Amino acid sequence: MSIQEQYRKRAAELLASGEVKIIIGYGAGSTPDRRRALFIRSADDASLLHVDAACDANLSGYLVSEGLLSDRKKVGIFLRPEGIRSVNILAAESQLDPLQIVIIGFNVENGSLAALQGSGVNDFSSLISTLKESRSTPEEQALIEKIEGMTPEERFAFWQAEFSKCIKCYACRQVCPMCYCKRCIVDNNQPQWVHTSSHTLGNFEWNLVRAFHLSGRCVECGGCDRACPVNIPLRLINRRMAQEVLDAFDHFSGMSHTQEPVLASFKKDDPETFIL
Amino acid sequence: MTDNTQNGQQNIYKPAIMKVVQKRDEAPGVKTLRLEFQDPAEHERFKEHYRTGMFGLYGIFGEGESTFCVASPETRKEYIECTFRQSGRVTSSLASAEIGDLVTYRGPYGNRFPIEEFYGKNLLFIAGGIALPPTRSVIWSCLDQRDKFGKVTIVYGARTVADLVYKHELEEWQNRSDIELVLTVDPGGESPDWQHRIGFVPSVLEEAAPSPDNCVAVLCGPPVMIKFTLISLGKLGFNEKNVYTTLENRMKCGVGKCGRCNVGSVYICKEGPVFTAAEVSRMPAGDL
Amino acid sequence: MTKILLRDRLDDCISRWHAAGLDVIGPVSKNNISQFDTIQKAGELDFGIILPDRTLKDLFFPQTEPMFRYRIGKQQIDTEEYLPPGRQRIVFGARPCDVSAMAIDDPLFGWDYKDTYWFKRRTETVIVTIACTSADEFCMCTSLKLAPDSPQGSDILLRPLEGNRGWLVEELTERGRDAFSLIEGLLENATGDPLPLAVVPVKFDLDACREWLQNPENFESHFWKEISMRCIGCGTCTFLCPTCHCFDFQDEGDTYTGIRRKNWDSCSFALFTMHTSGHNPRSTQSARWRQRIMHKFNYFPGKFSLNSCSGCGRCTRECPVDMGITETLQEITKLSK
Repeated sequence: MSIQEQYRKRAAELLASGEVKIIIGYGAGSTPDRRRALFIRSADDASLLHVDAACDANLSGYLVSEGLLSDRKKVGIFLRPEGIRSVNILAAESQLDPLQIVIIGFNVENGSLAALQGSGVNDFSSLISTLKESRSTPEEQALIEKIEGMTPEERFAFWQAEFSKCIKCYACRQVCPMCYCKRCIVDNNQPQWVHTSSHTLGNFEWNLVRAFHLSGRCVECGGCDRACPVNIPLRLINRRMAQEVLDAFDHFSGMSHTQEPVLASFKKDDPETFIL
Repeated sequence: MTDNTQNGQQNIYKPAIMKVVQKRDEAPGVKTLRLEFQDPAEHERFKEHYRTGMFGLYGIFGEGESTFCVASPETRKEYIECTFRQSGRVTSSLASAEIGDLVTYRGPYGNRFPIEEFYGKNLLFIAGGIALPPTRSVIWSCLDQRDKFGKVTIVYGARTVADLVYKHELEEWQNRSDIELVLTVDPGGESPDWQHRIGFVPSVLEEAAPSPDNCVAVLCGPPVMIKFTLISLGKLGFNEKNVYTTLENRMKCGVGKCGRCNVGSVYICKEGPVFTAAEVSRMPAGDL
Repeated sequence: MTKILLRDRLDDCISRWHAAGLDVIGPVSKNNISQFDTIQKAGELDFGIILPDRTLKDLFFPQTEPMFRYRIGKQQIDTEEYLPPGRQRIVFGARPCDVSAMAIDDPLFGWDYKDTYWFKRRTETVIVTIACTSADEFCMCTSLKLAPDSPQGSDILLRPLEGNRGWLVEELTERGRDAFSLIEGLLENATGDPLPLAVVPVKFDLDACREWLQNPENFESHFWKEISMRCIGCGTCTFLCPTCHCFDFQDEGDTYTGIRRKNWDSCSFALFTMHTSGHNPRSTQSARWRQRIMHKFNYFPGKFSLNSCSGCGRCTRECPVDMGITETLQEITKLSK
């Protein structure tokens, strides 16, 4: 039986037995190579589920949809390892109870699908530990090194050109499982902290505020990068910030659902390099 | 219908500069500003176009614009009065404007109450809380030509005595023999010396039982009050076509372009804010 | 005799237009995005793309633009009006769907009150449209009763000739004729066979959809919740829509001086309709998606006898969660049967 068939069967069983009230998975998209989020409530619909290398969206953001988990019932969800890390962070930040989440995990390695064993967040701990060690694709690494190799002026010019494309559609925010705030700081107007206009200054402000807000929280699922309709390489910013947090605090986000949020917790041996 | 095209403006988003000439505290957090045009041409334009029911966008540069009705009547166009509750960024800054300060105004926009059609009829005004201002504009427009109308009844309620706005005018209306004024506050909102009714507007209205014959009702208030008052008006025999109300929604442009104030297919800024209850009942309730 | 504009004459044309004081604008692919940009040479134009990522709307209704500078003094407030720069422009190589969209928005921006900014740019711009000879799986102009060679909004329509050598010229407006009179002599008096137009299959039944949307019973249909469940509420579909016209005003500055700007806004955003009181008439994403569809295919045609969609397909093409108008109207077509 193919992995897809096994997973359809498992989803059908979870629904039929009443263990979960809904499955958040992937269905066919508008073109043969697209997959889209699919919400199914009946075992009969499990055959509509797809699992393959094209399933790239991190669906964990849907878990914090208003009201979904408030009845304490369980929800099944298809997640890649990054999505499982997102669930850990959402749990650590008190946004959900991990016991309510039944994970149907899978991974895509070198373009091919691999099943993951387990269903609770703790079942994937050792997998996540191994992820901490190997993080970038060679292309990404090359781009990072290219940017790192720039002078500050060149780097500023690079990001200026990229951010000048931003239209403040907030797709990066809306697609991000970590951006669950009911009211984002940019939507506050008393006081108005951030310009809402998408001119160069406003775009810088937005993208930098987001980068800092995601530091130590981003799982590098690449959702923002894929969502961006104007092709800003957002992943690079988040990867750089993740590296910073890893170097400074040995913090790899989403290791467990009890991991303390790194920028919201204090340890006596935290480096204090920023204090002159 | 008044001419609702361009109002002679060049740049339709450019506001007029207004001076605050009077400021009154109406109720906790509620203030009235009387504004005078600084540019005579802008004032002429306003005088030419303003009719009761129309609204405007009041603002302070640096903070933005906020939409509310023109609370002064079409019979008094030397100034604009606006009454608002201090709640967001713009209203907070307007509330801190002092006499002599400059603010901005754009308008008048929207449709109006068809006051000529009310000639010869009895008038029933029903308002709740902060919604007296739009009603008051119609009330004064009619009182300033009192002989053209029959009996005038005003039913006004607020949560507490303190929340009643235009207290000085309520007193004036109270003392007039050609107006029947019914005042009420919600149970628990009365003061020890309160001498008027205690109860919610719909039930007080039913007790007052104004006749629907040859009568036009103007109803403004919070959505929940509107909902139950319409039921009461129905019980009293009022036809939905003879009941007028105003709707409000968030607006930015005021002239049908920014895309946010529509209820179903109806743009409040262009086709409203004045509607008959019959028109409102045809709108999708899920969009209100 | 028809006129032909040869591709290798395009640089000369651009020089002539420049000499006459026109800015020349066209689709340019740069920095990993394609959009309309000012060009100096024909070589900068990207004729290889079906449709630029960004829409033609950018040229008439930019994502942010200053309207007024204000200076608040003790006794007076000075305002200085910013208006579009006032340069005459020629857009070369827009697509019929994008250009039709401008014609769709004209009545809206002119609805009793004329939007100064829109119409100033509209009157300063000549649009030269190139009919489409290829389409992708998201194109849907024909579903909107438009076509790969719809003339709406265009001043000149060009039809590509065999072998990539140039275009057959159709002058549609006085403004277009004036702009092309500047390149008199560079056009060939000849005829040729235009390439066949792109084949764009009809994807939904527009009339059936309209009828379904007009039925008040369907306003509260569960369909809206189902179809929009995966919507994340971003502004991609609205900002990359050539007809979406919603905007916001924002003041930027301090207490004494600053700028009032007109910025794009989106009916997808929860804050769009939120009252200060906290009441929100469109408080759920499904209500907001319903508004978008209703507005485009029911309310707007009711007011202006035009659908507020020209079938460019960007909403589906760019949607981060693979939604879009096509899917919704396909589903409505099914429901209406």
